Amino acid sequence: MGATNRIVDLNVNGDRRIAGVPTHYTLLETLRYVLGLTGSKQGCDKGDCGACTVLVDGVATLSCIMPVWEAEGAEVVTVEGLARESGPHPVQDEFDLNGAAQCGFCTPGILCSAVGLLERNPAPSREEIKEALSGNLCRCTGYTKIYNAVEAAAERIRTGSADGAGRR
Amino acid sequence: MLRLPPHEYHRPRSLDEAVELLHRFGDDAMVIAGGTDLIPNMKHRLFEPAHLVGLKGIGELRGIRREGGALAIGAAETLASVARHPEVRGRFAALAAAAGHVAGPQLRNAGTIGGNLCLDTRCTYYNQTEFWRRALGYCLKKDGTVCHVTKVGKKCVAAHSADTPPALIAFGARVEMRSPSGTRSVPVEDFFVPDGIRNNQRGPGETITRILIPLSFVSGADGAPGGADVDAAAGGDADGAVNRIRGSPNGDEELHLRSGYSKLRQRASIDFPLLTVAVAAWVDPGGRMQRLRGVVTALGARPRELTGWDEIAEGEALDDDVIDALAERARKQCRPLDNIIVDPEWRRAMVPVYVKRALIQLRDEPPS
Amino acid sequence: MSETGGGGESRPGGTDEQRVPDGRNSQSDLNLIGSRLRKVDGFAKASGKARYADDIALPGMLHARIVRSPHPHARIVSIDSSRAEALDGVRGVVTGRDMPHTYGVIPWTPDEHPLCVDRVRYIGDGVAAVAAVDEDTAIEAAGLIEVEYEELPAYLDPRKALEATGGEDSPYIHEPRKAGWNGNITKKVHLDFGEVHALMEASDVVVEGAYFFEGTTHAPIEPHCAIGLWEPDGREAGGLSSGGGLTFPLEPGMGGQPGKHEGGVPSSHGRLTVWSSTQVPHYLHRELARVLELDPARVRVIQPPVGGAFGGKSEPFDLEFCVAALAMKTGRPVKILYTREEVFYAHRGRHPFHMRYRTGATKDGKLQSVDAQVLLDGGAYASFGLVTTYYSGQLLTAPYTMPAYRFDSVRAYTNKPACGPKRGHGSVQPRFAFEVQLDKLAEKLEMDPVGLRRSNAMGGNTRTVNELRVTSNGFVECLEAVERASGWKERWRRLPFGRGLGVAGSCYISGTNYPVYPNDMPQSAVQIQIDRSGRVAVFSGASEIGQGTDSMVAYVAAEELGVPLDYVRVFAGDTDFTPVDLGAYSSRVTFMLGNACIDAARTLKRKVQDAVAGEWGCKPREVLLAGGWALFAPDTARKLPIREAFQLAEAMFGTLGATGWYNTPKDIHGSYRGGTIGSSPAYSFTAHVAEVDVDVETGFVEVKRIWIAHDCGRALNPVLVEGQMEGSAYMGFAEALMEEQIFKSAEQGREGLHNAPSLLDYRIPTSLDTPELESLIVESLDPEGPYGAKEAGEGPLHPSIPAIANAIHDAVGIRMDALPFSPPRVWRRINEARAEGKLKKPTAPGRPIEEEVHESVS
Repeated sequence: MGATNRIVDLNVNGDRRIAGVPTHYTLLETLRYVLGLTGSKQGCDKGDCGACTVLVDGVATLSCIMPVWEAEGAEVVTVEGLARESGPHPVQDEFDLNGAAQCGFCTPGILCSAVGLLERNPAPSREEIKEALSGNLCRCTGYTKIYNAVEAAAERIRTGSADGAGRR
Repeated sequence: MLRLPPHEYHRPRSLDEAVELLHRFGDDAMVIAGGTDLIPNMKHRLFEPAHLVGLKGIGELRGIRREGGALAIGAAETLASVARHPEVRGRFAALAAAAGHVAGPQLRNAGTIGGNLCLDTRCTYYNQTEFWRRALGYCLKKDGTVCHVTKVGKKCVAAHSADTPPALIAFGARVEMRSPSGTRSVPVEDFFVPDGIRNNQRGPGETITRILIPLSFVSGADGAPGGADVDAAAGGDADGAVNRIRGSPNGDEELHLRSGYSKLRQRASIDFPLLTVAVAAWVDPGGRMQRLRGVVTALGARPRELTGWDEIAEGEALDDDVIDALAERARKQCRPLDNIIVDPEWRRAMVPVYVKRALIQLRDEPPS
Repeated sequence: MSETGGGGESRPGGTDEQRVPDGRNSQSDLNLIGSRLRKVDGFAKASGKARYADDIALPGMLHARIVRSPHPHARIVSIDSSRAEALDGVRGVVTGRDMPHTYGVIPWTPDEHPLCVDRVRYIGDGVAAVAAVDEDTAIEAAGLIEVEYEELPAYLDPRKALEATGGEDSPYIHEPRKAGWNGNITKKVHLDFGEVHALMEASDVVVEGAYFFEGTTHAPIEPHCAIGLWEPDGREAGGLSSGGGLTFPLEPGMGGQPGKHEGGVPSSHGRLTVWSSTQVPHYLHRELARVLELDPARVRVIQPPVGGAFGGKSEPFDLEFCVAALAMKTGRPVKILYTREEVFYAHRGRHPFHMRYRTGATKDGKLQSVDAQVLLDGGAYASFGLVTTYYSGQLLTAPYTMPAYRFDSVRAYTNKPACGPKRGHGSVQPRFAFEVQLDKLAEKLEMDPVGLRRSNAMGGNTRTVNELRVTSNGFVECLEAVERASGWKERWRRLPFGRGLGVAGSCYISGTNYPVYPNDMPQSAVQIQIDRSGRVAVFSGASEIGQGTDSMVAYVAAEELGVPLDYVRVFAGDTDFTPVDLGAYSSRVTFMLGNACIDAARTLKRKVQDAVAGEWGCKPREVLLAGGWALFAPDTARKLPIREAFQLAEAMFGTLGATGWYNTPKDIHGSYRGGTIGSSPAYSFTAHVAEVDVDVETGFVEVKRIWIAHDCGRALNPVLVEGQMEGSAYMGFAEALMEEQIFKSAEQGREGLHNAPSLLDYRIPTSLDTPELESLIVESLDPEGPYGAKEAGEGPLHPSIPAIANAIHDAVGIRMDALPFSPPRVWRRINEARAEGKLKKPTAPGRPIEEEVHESVS
């Protein structure tokens, strides 16, 4: 049975994106292969690794197992949409400073999970960070530097410090 | 990458519309809520429906609120919101813990309580790609004729692997369903049938609408203890269910609903359970229990209520001897099979350990 | 070609911010090196801008899918692709007969075809590939290719494979390379050093043990992906139309020996480009040219950022040949992205090892003699197996002095995905066994296991019993660092029952002295070009796979040339633009590429110094280049912006460019057959202490914390070194507790079927499972390393597993000699120990035997 296309109407990173999409596409396939937003990654095919995590209405969501049609009417934010006008999101910058991204392939998903966490809990404990990231597999870092980066970013957001350079 | 089979996706705006769509497409349609189970299964070509009917946008299926003597949870409420809900946490701690331990955070953000009840059974020979299953020669549950677990049996022994049903059963919950012929509700334990291929009695075109958990001792009883006269405590208390029973043998007493939940899995996140245990009882200020219920799952095709506990525990306090006796009774009733790729002998030995841990939670502290 | 700049434009701050301040910058003579720095690609990776292989889409690109064998061992009787080719949207099919040459990363054991020609050897072996307009069509078409097989008996157990006779009922998996050999043996190594027998006999105490290391796989989060592009030259433009005039340049049966390219120019004049998530672009380049019979000068390999590799992408795979062949056949770009399942079939992961060790020592704990037997379960193909077989013995001879040592290693073929190099290639398994042996020895001798290790430490500037040259050696400092940090002296044997500490040590190579194929050319090289703007362009042959090589060369270039880090651009991973580096494996890159970069940068630095000295009328060595300035050393108030210094040099010398390279010293290996394997220009050293909590009711082992001390020579950027240490310790911990690449037996439904090829059922640890990891950097300053640096990427993995095994023993008194220490397995050992009355805290040496702390059942 062949695929049919339909028009999907999405809000991604604040942009309205209208595109023809095969009806069986996931949100991830649409982001990566239709809209050219390749920041979100595909690692496991089926919701086991978290590399495809994006924010849907602020909630960390696995885009590889979400039919694209379910994202209509929601605000989708991918790693490409995390930066602010003033520069990178503090979590992004702290990932860079702390060496929290090695190969970087799990990073976009982890960043989305971390930003989702900080938006509902601006002062998470280390245990809460571990819990919030426990659906994102990282194979490089052993996670330690990722926790450090999220903790530092949370601190920076709370104190309103623009960057982390002068702090340590 | 693994791709989904071609299909059409429908987003009804009301329950009526969803029911109508399901009726119209018949066997060609499946219901999707969170999709966390169905989508991977479709990528594995375990299901290839021509139509998916999405429930996410239907407001009637959302909400957690008191209704009559029950807490009504909309079927499309996510596991994350169930786990976070203050009344669920305060009154039905084992349910909050169960919902909060399903898979990983993103899956709980998408997966729903209704979907968790409908989770397809799982087996090492079944939850695999089409290529893998072809190399195997397929299996009884899908496309084949042989059960590779039992070798001989004509019965599928894929394991029920959902976390919340044991807690729901222990709390005496009912599941409400809707089909073109109307609405009905059944106790959660009766929702399941002992068949690994299709382990619930949801009919064609039927969809779960709500879960109803009784709030008080009496509303959950098929028959309350003789002569008891119960006032449900005034609503809104987050520190557990309280019932005041007049005329009980010990005079006026408060009964607290207490519960415990334990889950065996190899990783502390993402994994399905190798064993899940939920226990609940009404406990008086002296620690004596009434209507202790214990339910285990991830062993066979449906959750199993542990039997023979009344004679050990009814009216007793939960001391170590009682806990040991209950755990031993549980061990005798549970025999895991090779349907999960982990040493069944060890899994069997874990039954009393995890039953004990759940009971200790019930006695000492609510699960978190 | 990927380019990573020193500073992203959108990054806040400027050059000053690139140094992460933490007070470590105390070295007087080094400016950037040794500081906590950002990575040059850090922000690209933290913003989704880094473009990995599957992020690339070329105009008109087709998608292909590989048809795989459902049988563990079978003859291919026929392949019929007519139904697939008739499907709407299909553009081309290739089978093994289109690419008949064998290949193999080790030139002596080329035993693989890009696609199987007449025999399949494991479930998942590739037999055909089909390209179509989209992935869904390719998948559908792959299902229409009909392959007829004749099944053969399969071997899953290497011991059974060794018993094969080659007869009809007992066929070899490969034809023997020489008549009379066993076709199920890849390699046998027997090496003998010193008086093994006599010293064993003379030992006061001998410990003997059998160990099993279960196979594990790399599981990088990025699945393998490759894209092929074929550009016929003008005279053959017909090749662009599908089914047009392109003569597919391969003829069956053209043979070809490894390393021996037929002379002359191949018939085709087109150009092939392959983008691949490889960690060895150079080897891929060689093998593509050889197998596809192309002129190597017409083949280009581009390595985009790689999403993790760990050894799992360190040789060519079927997808790279298939995208190339399909691109040549169809005239269209072709992409293949593995499914996660296919990544498990590609494998090349850690070999299962069956090991026996005898270890003899004097009564005061001095090692005397070590005797080892190792059986390696190799899977269906050789891969790096020849080297693995040597490494299984050769890398055990440090950091402890052992007067006599012998090992007997055999690698057998089995009908499972091929094993190969995984982080700590070949030496992680024996290290596990040996460090547990040492723990048992210490217990028998009533010694502290840290003390036992310290007293056997070999020290620096010495040779091992198998003649490997060891120069810098910080092993004792590593041991002492973890001893101190873990509170070992106060806590070992004194924690309550269930809680324990374990120690282990190790060493590892910093690159191999000899390349995989014999040649005298440099192992690593860079080219640097600077210009009047102040910009420094580094063309690096090395493979960035997340470990930070692009950053490392940027730090070196900035250090030497005195520019701010964000003046440096690193261009890497493109065989058309960069000099040859052999790849990201064997922990070679920092040592070799770092030295190559220093070499090139210093050539340019001298020119800049000369030019500035001419301007200032001083000696060139009085000109310092640092921090964006050329400075007069005797009076640093006198200075010139570096840009102007470069302009002076460009005026004096013309356009400024330099190459630099590194090759290994050739006189430092053993003087025996095989003595080159294991020799390295430098060795790193590691010690771990692990703390565990053992739940005796369930068998769950919780690793609470791992202290990792690693001698990396000099930490060029401590952030990256710690990252490698933590990542290594994590990966070892994961193998210790949960990972196993295992297969179903016939009784379990299907012989040779992967047990669980998914990231759900092949369990890699989540954040909630992983212990806190504490890195303790030890810097021994290697005399030959760049600024004294050695490797940090693989060595720190080794002690994880034995340290955890030894900690479990300290916790509850049981020995775990087989991996993984999964709850069912630990639970069974606990039950056995309980039945024998041995489930208890071991007694501390040198203390009165305290009342035994028995298991308390709460």
